[in-house]
Amino acid sequence: MATVTPAQGELQIRTFQRSPLSRVRGNLGGLWGRPITQALLKAVLTIYVTSTITFGLIRLMPGSPVEIKIDELMQQSQMSYADAAAAASGLFDINLNAPIHEQYFEYLGNLVHGNLGNSFLSRGTSVMSIILSVLPWTLFAVGTGLLLSFVIGIGLGLIAAYRRNSLLDHTVSTGGSIISSVPGYLVALLIVLIFGIQLRWIPITQMRGAFSPGIAPGFTPEFIGDILFHASLPITVFFLTHIGLWILSMRSATLASLEEDHVTVARARGLTDGRITTAYVGRNAVLPLVSQFAIAAGAVVGGAVIIEQIFVYQGVGLRLVSSVNQRDYPLMQGIILMTTVCVIIANLIADLLYSRLDPRIGRAGGATGK
Amino acid sequence: MPVLSVRDLSIDYRTRRGPVHAVRDVTFDLEQGETLAIIGESGSGKTTLAVGLIRLSPRSARVTSGEIRYDDGKRAFDVLSLESERLRRFRWADCAMVFQAALSAFNPVITIWEQFLDTGRAHGMGDKHKIHDRTRELLDLVHLDPDRVLRSYAHELSGGMRQRVLIAMALLLDPRIVILDEPTTALDILTQRAIIDLLRDLRAKLGFATIFISHDLSIAAELADRMLTMYAGRVVERAGVDDLFYRPRHPYSVGLMRAVPRVSGALGSVASIPGSPPDLIRLPRGCSYYPRCPFHVEQCLEQDPPLLAVDTPDHEAACIRWEAVAAALGSDAEAPVAEKLA
Repeated sequence: MATVTPAQGELQIRTFQRSPLSRVRGNLGGLWGRPITQALLKAVLTIYVTSTITFGLIRLMPGSPVEIKIDELMQQSQMSYADAAAAASGLFDINLNAPIHEQYFEYLGNLVHGNLGNSFLSRGTSVMSIILSVLPWTLFAVGTGLLLSFVIGIGLGLIAAYRRNSLLDHTVSTGGSIISSVPGYLVALLIVLIFGIQLRWIPITQMRGAFSPGIAPGFTPEFIGDILFHASLPITVFFLTHIGLWILSMRSATLASLEEDHVTVARARGLTDGRITTAYVGRNAVLPLVSQFAIAAGAVVGGAVIIEQIFVYQGVGLRLVSSVNQRDYPLMQGIILMTTVCVIIANLIADLLYSRLDPRIGRAGGATGK
Repeated sequence: MPVLSVRDLSIDYRTRRGPVHAVRDVTFDLEQGETLAIIGESGSGKTTLAVGLIRLSPRSARVTSGEIRYDDGKRAFDVLSLESERLRRFRWADCAMVFQAALSAFNPVITIWEQFLDTGRAHGMGDKHKIHDRTRELLDLVHLDPDRVLRSYAHELSGGMRQRVLIAMALLLDPRIVILDEPTTALDILTQRAIIDLLRDLRAKLGFATIFISHDLSIAAELADRMLTMYAGRVVERAGVDDLFYRPRHPYSVGLMRAVPRVSGALGSVASIPGSPPDLIRLPRGCSYYPRCPFHVEQCLEQDPPLLAVDTPDHEAACIRWEAVAAALGSDAEAPVAEKLA
């Protein structure tokens, strides 16, 4: 064992202190302390994990896209299996016979460059362009439905809490709990069956798709009216399935908020009822609902699959189902990844909004608690 | 001319078991600029009374009788008959209240400045700059740094600072009456001291009348001109501060004094009052202090005694045995207590 002379020891210490690594760590420390950095890093990690799991799960599904295409060709054009196989193999860009880890690293490499690959079935069409053509419709329908239910729900919840035990309160909260316990797909089916087929009040078939064929897209009243017409049924379902949640949550949050000492003091200060309701009771009551909203938004984008299927609404969900049926691996991966990204963005916005709304939360560096 | 005259005020709380008679036939006057302390143990109706004066009682409370007459020389009205908009304007502008719960008295999500602004605007105090100037003056007066405090949220201030901010806010509209409901209870002893000195100082400068609610006799003695002792929702003794501390005539007031440790007193001289306050739903017949009273006699059960003048016309006690109390105390029995308390 070498003995260290005092001079050497000192030298080692000084080297350590000056090492570039520690300086880098110091700089990162400053950045790391900021909530936004943490949130972004978490987001990247979530995206990586999701894409890996998706990649694996998709390849565990029985039947490859080639086999499905071969079946299709054999049935449609009466080809022999060999001919069909030859024809089908020429249709695909990706070599599915390559070892799985090679496929995985190729996929990840492309992902880092923002390339989601091309669709297997619509040759030459990039996954990104397909997603961009369907995602806005889903976000539009889900976003409108959720926002409407949120705004109206917290309004009703607030009023119900102010008129506790009145007829209005009982009606609104009972209605809210009944409606929030019915699943969305059931509501969608009931709308189609009762209003579309039995009563024929709603022209179900005309409402399919995201907009009517032959109408020119743009910010014209006709186009906006048309997309609202087509989105109205999904919006109604998203609205109905969530409004109960907002009513009930807002009602109980408001009741708790009304009991707060600072509300009593605000009354003693002679503030107007309007000011107390908005800035003192409502503002505090709505805080816990903001994060609830982000969670709901994420869940609904994922849950839109069945609703879009029922109404044949040209959104992400409908496209996802068809890509699953056809084993269009890149498209499935892309859509699931995009859904994840939407959820992450919703959560990120909620976090940032929350820290803006509640000054007690993370002013400098993470959540500091109350 | 009293700025506030309360006559026969009674307040009940509705409960499943029946009405709780929390305040019963309370009558008192508050003169311009004076400090009236209301003392009594928890549950004696002090806070119900204070909150009732600005009609801020919880929904289950109901004023069953009485009158609260406000008269500042220019306007005179019965607070109980104000409709909601005039009541709103009366609150804080004429009669402000510093709460026991000052620690949670501020909206946590808006800054202190916004809350001053809200208060000023609600009472038509004019433009932002005027409110801002007045706010800064008042914060200076309560020894706080306006620049720092106004930008802060409540959770960024200490308990003592929040109490000072609330006091400053109470004075924003230059009210004639400030009700202080146990303003020092949640504070440590040094901060208590500072707040008491501050209140005395402000009262001298601004000349508002104060109703001071406390179960801390030493603080009450320091600030008050006159005192009321409340027991089971009633005023049982009303006296000048010296009379009450040196010559208490209601056995309950005596009990309260004896329950306070004294600096010069012998060890073991502190005595609690045995028993507990009566059930305010089913009040016993006669004097409600009877079961706990060492001076009681048969006659006490006949009726709840009214306030009787004792010693001097300005000193009243609701006790038919007040002479026995006076005799028992002798001339100096409680004098040391009062000296050390004052």
